[in-house]
Amino acid sequence: MLILRPKLSFEVHVEAEITPDLAEMDLKDVLNFEVYYGKLVKRLGDLFDVETVGEGKRVILEGDFSRVKWIGKGMKDGEIVVRGDVGQHCGAYMEGGKIIVEGNADDWLGTEMRGGEIVVKGNAGNRIGCNFWGEMEGVKGGKIIVEGDVGSYVGEKMVDGYIEVGNAGDFVGTEMKGGVIVVRGNCGYVGWDMKGGEIRVGGRFDLPPSFVEENGVWRGDVNVGGKGVIRKL
Amino acid sequence: MVSLEVRNGFVIDPMNGVFEVKDVFVKDGRIVESLDKPEMVVDAKGKVVVAGGIDVHAHVAGGKINMGRKMRPEEMRYPRFKSDNLRSGVGRVLLTSPAIGYEYARMGYTTVVEPAMPALYSIHTHEELDSIPIVDKMALPLFGNWHFVFKFVKNDEIEKLSNFIAWVLAKTKGFGVKVVNPCGVEAWMFHGNVYSLNDTDPLFGVSPKEVITGLISAIERLKLPHSLHIHCNLLGIPGNYEVTLETIKLTRRFENSERQVMHVTHVQFNSYAGESWKDMSSGAEFVAKEVNRNNVTVDMGQVILGHATTMTADSPFQYELFKIFKTKWSNLDVELETGSGIVPVYYSPKVRVHSLMWAIGLEIGLLVDVDKVVISTDYPNGGPFYSYPYIATLLMSEKFREEEMKRIANVERYSILPSLSEERTLEDVVKMTRVNPARILGLNDRGHLGENAKADLVIYDLPPEPNPRDYESILKALSNPSLVLKDGKIVVKEGRVVKHTWGETIWVKRDYDEELIGDELEDFFNYYTVQRDNYGVPHVRREVVLC
Ligand SMILES: [Zn+2]
Repeated sequence: MLILRPKLSFEVHVEAEITPDLAEMDLKDVLNFEVYYGKLVKRLGDLFDVETVGEGKRVILEGDFSRVKWIGKGMKDGEIVVRGDVGQHCGAYMEGGKIIVEGNADDWLGTEMRGGEIVVKGNAGNRIGCNFWGEMEGVKGGKIIVEGDVGSYVGEKMVDGYIEVGNAGDFVGTEMKGGVIVVRGNCGYVGWDMKGGEIRVGGRFDLPPSFVEENGVWRGDVNVGGKGVIRKL
Repeated sequence: MVSLEVRNGFVIDPMNGVFEVKDVFVKDGRIVESLDKPEMVVDAKGKVVVAGGIDVHAHVAGGKINMGRKMRPEEMRYPRFKSDNLRSGVGRVLLTSPAIGYEYARMGYTTVVEPAMPALYSIHTHEELDSIPIVDKMALPLFGNWHFVFKFVKNDEIEKLSNFIAWVLAKTKGFGVKVVNPCGVEAWMFHGNVYSLNDTDPLFGVSPKEVITGLISAIERLKLPHSLHIHCNLLGIPGNYEVTLETIKLTRRFENSERQVMHVTHVQFNSYAGESWKDMSSGAEFVAKEVNRNNVTVDMGQVILGHATTMTADSPFQYELFKIFKTKWSNLDVELETGSGIVPVYYSPKVRVHSLMWAIGLEIGLLVDVDKVVISTDYPNGGPFYSYPYIATLLMSEKFREEEMKRIANVERYSILPSLSEERTLEDVVKMTRVNPARILGLNDRGHLGENAKADLVIYDLPPEPNPRDYESILKALSNPSLVLKDGKIVVKEGRVVKHTWGETIWVKRDYDEELIGDELEDFFNYYTVQRDNYGVPHVRREVVLC
């Protein structure tokens, strides 16, 4: 198990593809792991103190990681615990394992993830569980749970998997093809151009006019011949 | 460095009948007979020395590829070049401009033709061409659906048409005449298309047959270095090989002893038999036969299995594609002259139609006479241009084709490829990538290594007659030239770009009489959104004008 702590307060974004794989590497290689500080190529050891504590494929991030991007990118197994806030693209392309964020997460959480689980105890930003720009398919599997609130665009072009959030902004499940999105609280528009899958909302929400009510649920988006379902929690 | 000697290499220079070990001398960017004291000597012992490759058809600049880039930000996630002395370049199949130039140089190509420039967008197209490093460039304006062309053809005013073409080439710094689905794109603006050479456009009542022969007459009259460059009607539609044959036959009434009178581009997409996607089969054999017996040349339009983005001026065809793939689609209308459409595709080895397209391209490459066919993918329609070494290796090695067919859905029922044992030699490939393109474009300063040719020179780590069974070595060597010279400067070493240079933009100038087409030009600027003073390309980075 590794514990990472920032050596300085970052003035610009750091791009560090930190995964639990680091916990199984030689400390020398961990310290040499390539990261970017703005446009400068740096070594992990230049920016972070690294402490090895016992066995296990785990990485603990202590301190302010709110400007550190790409944490857990493409990880396949193991666990990352962030004891604070985390930066953008956390858990993007993730395939397995678990990420726990004890603070808040930034935008692009779990983008295009394929499997695994992300739990955020605080709030998260925009485009949670979406696709990157241009890609035709978003999240294809796995689970994202945000205990607090999130911004706009949740689960755009989602194909499969499960996303659960508190309150959300506008455009939940746009162009969704499968999977389940749960908004426990209130949100804006849901399900535009939805082809499949299910959106469940606990509180108030805006329904596009292109959904048809049927046995207490709404089906659509009829504009795209969709068979998506929107229902109240 | 201004002078250099390439020593002991095996020179393959079919245009000059050279196939032997020979020293090549370079001075001030040109090939010279001999040199007293070369400033640098490159040892090419055990390697082959050839001229730089020439691409006759790749959509590398202008409105379409740029719209493709905007539509497909997902293509831009792939870094390619980030070394200190180069510009950065990214892209999967749709590359940024700097990456296009570098990738061409990296595989030994030094000249490329952008084959579909809407005249109205020529300023943008040249801005982009000016951003493509290393290679020399040309652009072909589109004429096949232009109202003025229709009018001249309708009234049989070939002299006026010739003047109009010369005026457009001068205004747009264009190199030749391109036609895409003649009359069909115009018909599309009325929700239609044309389905034979005798169908007519709804506005002027002219047929593709009249437009094609009218344009050829004008081109031959102007003695343009390049012939008509045509994307045939009904491209990409099963059964279209028949219209391709008919189009080729139109050349019979014309004669030209210097070059072809028609270049049928990405002919793979126009060599389909059958009546629907379900029973589509290969018509390559028929097309190849017709090409071989007429004064016509072709480029392959090979499909590379994987990601691609289709972008043509053929709007109705692009809409058909969109209905099949249901991904993204953009459609463009360029005032009175043309249109275009863009649709992303993924050519899958598991989809029968796609594997068949792959096979048909190779059939064309093997069945058309070796001095009439050029390697191409119609980039980015059939796939990346940087796959040319892969195509060359497939043509050279039956064993490689057998290996590839193992992973590609059953082509044997619909294509004769599995029965073709032809293997192109390395010399054949040099013809298909150097000699033929230079002749087809009417450029005599490249495609060969004779005296005073441009010192665009490539050294491959290959024997002159490589063993086709060892296709892996062939592919590796063709993909990673030991050395590439552009205008006598070393730009690539061992498959790595080492120097950033700027190539030239070549365009063709012919005299025209503005008075003769005065009425039409007045109409032109009455109906276009651009004023006469603002029309045309004011300057390009480095230009060469062929008069
Ligand atoms: Zn093309």
